[in-house]
Amino acid sequence: METYDVVVLGAGPAGLAAGLEAAKRGGKTLIIERESRPGGILKQCIHDGFGLIEFKEKLSGPEYAERYIRMVRDKNIPIMTSTFATKVLKDKDKFIITLVNSNKGVFEIESKTMILANGCRERTSKQIFIHGSRPSGVYTAGTAQYFINILGYLPCKKCVILGSGDIGLIMARRLTLEGAKVIGVYEAKTTPSGLTRNIVQCLYDYDIPLYLSRTITRIIGDDRVEGVIINEVDENMKPIKGTEKLVECDGVILSVGLIPENEIAESLGIEIDKFTKGPCVDHNFMTLEDGVFSCGNALHVNDLVDYVTESGRYAGERAVVYAKNNIEKNLVKVNMSVNDFLYVVPQYIDITSNNKKVVLYFRSREIRKNVVVQIKYDNKIVFTRKYRVLRPPEMQRIELDLTELKMSKDKDFCIVMKEGQY
Amino acid sequence: MKKIQKNIRQKINKEITCYEWHSSIVLEGIVDSWDDVVKAGKLAANKGYKGVVNKIEVKNLSIPDIKKPLLKDNYLHGKKVDVLIIGGGIIGCAIARELSKWDISILIIEKEEDLAMHTSSRNDGMIHPGILPKPGTKKAIFNVRGNKLYSKVTKELDVPFRRIGSLMLFEGNYMKLLLPYIKLRAKQNRVEGIQYLSADAIRKRVPAITKDISGGIFVPTTGILSPYKMTIAYGENAVLNGAEISFNTIALSMKKEHESIKAVQTNRGTIYPNLVINAAGVYSDKIAEMAGDQFFTIHPRKGQTIILDKKKGKLIDIVIAKSSLRKSTRSNTKGGGIVKTIDGNILVGPDAYEQPYREDYTTTRENIENIMKKHFPLIPQLSPKDVINYFAGIRAATYEEDFIVEKSEYVENLIHAAGIQSPGLASAPAIAEEIEKITINVLNDIQEVKPKENWNPIRKGIPQLNKMNKYERDRLIKERPDYGIIICRCEEISKGEIIDSIKSPIPAKSIDAIKRRVRPGMGRCQGGFCLPLVSKIIEEETELDMLSITKKGNKSQILSKETKEPDFDNEGGEASGDI
Amino acid sequence: MKELICIVCPNGCLLKVEKLNENWSIKGNLCSKGIDFAISEMTEAKRSVCSTVKTVFPEVPRLPVRTDGEIPKKFIFPLMKLINKVEIKAPIHSGDIILKNVFDTGVNVIATSDLFELLKEGIYD
Repeated sequence: METYDVVVLGAGPAGLAAGLEAAKRGGKTLIIERESRPGGILKQCIHDGFGLIEFKEKLSGPEYAERYIRMVRDKNIPIMTSTFATKVLKDKDKFIITLVNSNKGVFEIESKTMILANGCRERTSKQIFIHGSRPSGVYTAGTAQYFINILGYLPCKKCVILGSGDIGLIMARRLTLEGAKVIGVYEAKTTPSGLTRNIVQCLYDYDIPLYLSRTITRIIGDDRVEGVIINEVDENMKPIKGTEKLVECDGVILSVGLIPENEIAESLGIEIDKFTKGPCVDHNFMTLEDGVFSCGNALHVNDLVDYVTESGRYAGERAVVYAKNNIEKNLVKVNMSVNDFLYVVPQYIDITSNNKKVVLYFRSREIRKNVVVQIKYDNKIVFTRKYRVLRPPEMQRIELDLTELKMSKDKDFCIVMKEGQY
Repeated sequence: MKKIQKNIRQKINKEITCYEWHSSIVLEGIVDSWDDVVKAGKLAANKGYKGVVNKIEVKNLSIPDIKKPLLKDNYLHGKKVDVLIIGGGIIGCAIARELSKWDISILIIEKEEDLAMHTSSRNDGMIHPGILPKPGTKKAIFNVRGNKLYSKVTKELDVPFRRIGSLMLFEGNYMKLLLPYIKLRAKQNRVEGIQYLSADAIRKRVPAITKDISGGIFVPTTGILSPYKMTIAYGENAVLNGAEISFNTIALSMKKEHESIKAVQTNRGTIYPNLVINAAGVYSDKIAEMAGDQFFTIHPRKGQTIILDKKKGKLIDIVIAKSSLRKSTRSNTKGGGIVKTIDGNILVGPDAYEQPYREDYTTTRENIENIMKKHFPLIPQLSPKDVINYFAGIRAATYEEDFIVEKSEYVENLIHAAGIQSPGLASAPAIAEEIEKITINVLNDIQEVKPKENWNPIRKGIPQLNKMNKYERDRLIKERPDYGIIICRCEEISKGEIIDSIKSPIPAKSIDAIKRRVRPGMGRCQGGFCLPLVSKIIEEETELDMLSITKKGNKSQILSKETKEPDFDNEGGEASGDI
Repeated sequence: MKELICIVCPNGCLLKVEKLNENWSIKGNLCSKGIDFAISEMTEAKRSVCSTVKTVFPEVPRLPVRTDGEIPKKFIFPLMKLINKVEIKAPIHSGDIILKNVFDTGVNVIATSDLFELLKEGIYD
């Protein structure tokens, strides 16, 4: 049986960066990819805007992915494509991963560490409780994107988009450019879920209306979608009776949220954060199961691919450190107020780690203007930053240096947000 | 008759008239609501007549006609068959399979593009033990016998089946009073092995269950299977033994001579059968009417069911139902429950309500929320976040609330397997046996009938690789590498299995037909990742191109057009800069 | 006066733009990039365009492309018409020019995925 220091599950931007970094640091590394090509979801994200931080360029998704694929190939790091991990078992200090592919059948590999970089999936119409009939023509934005960008087919001619997530906005523009009519984007919340610039470039530029506080309550049509019923919703996002409006269309595109794919983590009994829906990790991106790391959108849904890459790089680096040394860890919690924050990652800090650099990502729960975000340890302020505006769609990144901080097991970190002058 | 009419007029509407026809009671008139229609039918039921034919209409309510296939051709024109079965659900297919033992020609016509498109795929797959039906009814007899037969038939047809047992929970101590009553029922219906379990014993068996129970009854014979896989297996075995199935084919009218059906007109030409079997589900009364033998009416009873993520499937390995006094005494009201499926999900529901539409499978927020409210407290770890899908089904209920499994009294060559509602799936093997007997008796008067010499009861299903041990799975992949390419990541379905379903004896050609056979897209992402890949496989393996692939036949194409068409002309003109 | 949302960076400043005599008055911007953005939006708004082009290879029926700079918005749909007429018949590399100097803007349409590599690997199972 082959034994590795690091096995990375997923060859998207997180997995490629993780594998690349692990190999650079001298770990014997293997990347496993269930699809036939590496690149992950970037393969179908043909719009530009990727890589402003990583490459200081505005690249398309495939360009960004292919740069990393080339770097991984140049270092001769093996990527096993069309290979599916069916089972992971922990056996003392290593993991036994059962894989399936068409040329080797069912086989096992061993690894000292494992990096979960398997991305996220889209929430479906049923998960947000849309009712009515079940015709064809209802697709998540990602599925529509695959049909249009990879296979070259339009899934509809005249559609509505539910949800103002970024992929939905991108698809509104994409469908319009390819000749389909986008009647409108409907968002149940009072504010858009996507980035402001996507609202401008994808909707306003093409006169596509954005309707807030409205949702689809019913889908109509036996064979193919014939229309939808749109309702206004109240402050709890419950449909208001009497506001029903019929909109005729032949397609419904959903962009109502992404969920980390954490089935493997769950199968190992790893604690899942109920806010991110990904595993809880420490600042070395290690989950609460020793030797299992998580990064990218499998950890939490990022807004920029550059952060996905960054988290992969850290996970790759720390996985090698772990594989080569036996590490004692002492975790303390990073507490947050759920009224102010949607989530904070990492959820723990390992105070005995020789890595004193902490990168924290967070999202505010609501749009907040002129606030101060502080990180405290044992009631001492260790970090302060002022923000003119915080919006839930935009993830924030904070870097901390803990070199000078004296830490002990019984004290926690805490991230707080308060009103403050900008 | 007069008494019944008086009663109905008193309780509902003065205008309703009742009269007798072919020893059944016919109701006519116009009322204000569908509830009144059903109420009138119930008032007339089981009052000494063979059946209730309810022709009462609702003011200002138009009920849509049967959904017809778009196809029109002469494919079947002039076809002569010994037995014509109308309806490709579990009943029609089970009958075809049992009849395929005989050296006769059999044709199933099904109006949809695949088998099991209606009630047979829209139920919870539970093989009921047969305690609830009233002793002596056809429901009771066929259910208990059908349940037993499943052990053998699932083995022969290679359909995964497990007797996981069921629990009828008592919510309060007072419900223990039911115990002797249920024990008597079980004895009368010949259901074996039931036992009372204390609250502690139940929690030991099912630790996830709520603490708010006071005991219950365990029934070991309750089973689970995939109702559509079972239907398809029956259909395939019948086809392998020479039966034919014509899809997208609907019976439009019949031609009779001397109280015998001579011809059945369809959208694909006229068929000349020696004998017709009515297995038309929610439309079985319409088929009876077409043959001039309508002595019953179907009142469609709808139910909605929730599907939960497999992740929560681990919580239980049993069927759970709340038991109520009302339910135990009236076998026609189903309370629903929590059912572990053979594929590892949990189903919650169904509810049951009367409504006039026979093919309306829409779901509603209110019903789904009520089902969650009613059943989720039984397993406190269940939450709305676990819901991955929901669906509706329609039960083909008659006013007598019993199955009709008999030769027509007035049409010489017509046999009814009608009014088959719950527990129809559990009863199907026994109903098919009975219909086989009746059919052969009737046919013997018309023609010589001999057993088929080389009848093969065995049908091999598509291998389920994710359920195999690694050695077997490895061996199969080495034999056929397509089994090693995973297309559906949630359910771990390989390309090989998908191709098998397309190449099976009854080929799957649509997305849903493939789903029913091998499950890609049935998982938590609901096909988000695999739909384009499955479509591509259909394109590669069939004569269909991407634009003609459908979700479920007819006009349910999944794609509209190719991008980059030469006639591209966007109306958008100039992009605007206004905010 | 006109209101614009700056899309240069994630700050998304709300800009208030007004033409006073021959000069632009811009308010609400946090940095100087906002001024450039506002003036360009008011005089000749420009965007980059991303799409796909047809290929003759059944394993890779579409190849992603983008403009290597921004073009005036009025050219977006005319450019789509040009893009939709393209058919790639030979394996090309990422960055290769597919349409040169479109509408005399000095901007090219380039491939953003490596067809050569794609054809080696096959794009879907």
